[in-house]
Amino acid sequence: MTTEANQNSDMVKMVDIHKWFGRVYALRGIDFNLKRGETLGLLGDNGAGKSTLIKILSGYHVADRGEIYFDGKKALIHSPRDARKLGIETVYQEQALAPNLSISRNIFMGREPLKGLGLLDKKVMDEESMQALKHLGLRLRSPDVPIITLSGGERQGVAIARAIHFKAKCVILDEPTVALSVKEVNEVLEFIRQIKREGISSIFITHNLYHVYDIAERFVVMARGRKMADVKKEEVTRDNLSDLVIKSAMVE
Amino acid sequence: MGKPVKQQNSFLKKLLTTRSFSILVVLIALLIIFTVFSPGGNFINAENIKVLLAYGSEFSIIALGVGVLMIAGEFDLSIGSILVFCSYLFLIFFKLNLNYFVVLALTILGGIALGYINAIVTTKGHIPSFITTLGTMMLWRGLTLWFSGGLQQACDVSSSSAFLSFLNGTIGGVFPVQALWFIIVGIILGLLLHYTRYGNWIYATGDNADAARAMGIRTHIVKMTAFIIVGILCAFVAGMQIARVSCFTSRTGEGWELKAIAACVVGGTSLRGGIGDMAGIFLGAFAISVIENGLVVLRIPYFWTYTVFGLVIVFSVLSSMYLEKQKWAQK
Repeated sequence: MTTEANQNSDMVKMVDIHKWFGRVYALRGIDFNLKRGETLGLLGDNGAGKSTLIKILSGYHVADRGEIYFDGKKALIHSPRDARKLGIETVYQEQALAPNLSISRNIFMGREPLKGLGLLDKKVMDEESMQALKHLGLRLRSPDVPIITLSGGERQGVAIARAIHFKAKCVILDEPTVALSVKEVNEVLEFIRQIKREGISSIFITHNLYHVYDIAERFVVMARGRKMADVKKEEVTRDNLSDLVIKSAMVE
Repeated sequence: MGKPVKQQNSFLKKLLTTRSFSILVVLIALLIIFTVFSPGGNFINAENIKVLLAYGSEFSIIALGVGVLMIAGEFDLSIGSILVFCSYLFLIFFKLNLNYFVVLALTILGGIALGYINAIVTTKGHIPSFITTLGTMMLWRGLTLWFSGGLQQACDVSSSSAFLSFLNGTIGGVFPVQALWFIIVGIILGLLLHYTRYGNWIYATGDNADAARAMGIRTHIVKMTAFIIVGILCAFVAGMQIARVSCFTSRTGEGWELKAIAACVVGGTSLRGGIGDMAGIFLGAFAISVIENGLVVLRIPYFWTYTVFGLVIVFSVLSSMYLEKQKWAQK
């Protein structure tokens, strides 16, 4: 294998992405890349365009202009289904799990294993779900428990376990630590480290650079639909990065 | 030694805390009350049970489909109107002197079309199905009244004994075939809902459509099939009703829409989608039929039916919510 070339090549490359919502010019020509196995922190204030950019990558929105390359090939992503087929998994706050469904039904949602006659293979679903969670270091009592009974950290764990289990190539973590307790935040950060250990590329979107600084290798800062900075961790201290985010937001 | 006992306990606990358990209690209580209070044992006699099963199953079969649709997160207020429109379609095809099974098949195609229209308007127009089907409820009923002039018309299918025994016969001369259909449809939809991929998509779509979509489930198609299932059942029951009464009436199915929703809610189905199970919906639909029949047998004025419906709905929803809380509190 051409490991050297693969490691340096881009998993995701977005070129000159523009997006309008009616009269709002949400993305003003963004170039964005994510390397193989890289963990990238995507930072910026509310309304900076982080979510819009990521929703274009995950198929929720379609860019008005620009191109996306995934794993070296030009990709046409028109729906979440397209994105998922490519291996792009999203771990969204509210959009990843069905609260009243069981853990195993959530993990296999849309990709349910079948035994003969088109029936669900519940046994495989349950066993593999528990394995996937254990692999992540998450010990839950039963695969039959509905998501609604889990803590916020555990819920993120289920979504991340699902991404790893299905061998995602790129995981999008949209504010995975928002509204969690300190203990849960640490739990979730540990899950994200596991994504990294698996060699999966990930984009970690957050306002909170303290959560992302330890984990990410590179940071992209956005403000008002533009990319304001793209820095490697070696190039910035935590305080520099903090200044960068604040200044980007202030520039007129 | 201790383990099997514990397992038995947990099985009992599981049974006691299932949502459908509270409706089972309600149903048994209703059966006891009607048996005890009906004059001269009128309720429990063979003739009445036959009537209850034959007549009640017509409504109950449709309610099963409505339950599936509600789990997918949508409503159908137009079931009574789809039913009456399909009855009229049946009458039209009947007049063409076709084989009655062909007439039924054509009517079912009509039901599919009506379900499809509800689905398309709802999913493509991004209109809440409550509104869409409120509209089609009036539309189909209105058109049927217009076309038929609001008159009863004879539609005697008794010349085909095969057709009659298919939809209005008895098994062994006792058990009405309608009740068998109710059970068959319940089993098919139960299998579909709980043991297939499509079933999981229905739950996921009703519970969190965004998540379902993010996981690659085509939620609009899931909803469409659920609307179509309801349409098919309405058309099937239209044929069943005509087989029983040998005529078309323009007032059939009036008030069924809310009764069907009540049946599902009583059976533990959430109005917001994503929650419910076929056992509960089945028992809920049956309970509604039992109440209607029981009150008639008890010779209680009809308006009491609504009072009893109201009490049963409130009681079962409260108790099922309480049981649900207990269940997860213990885990």
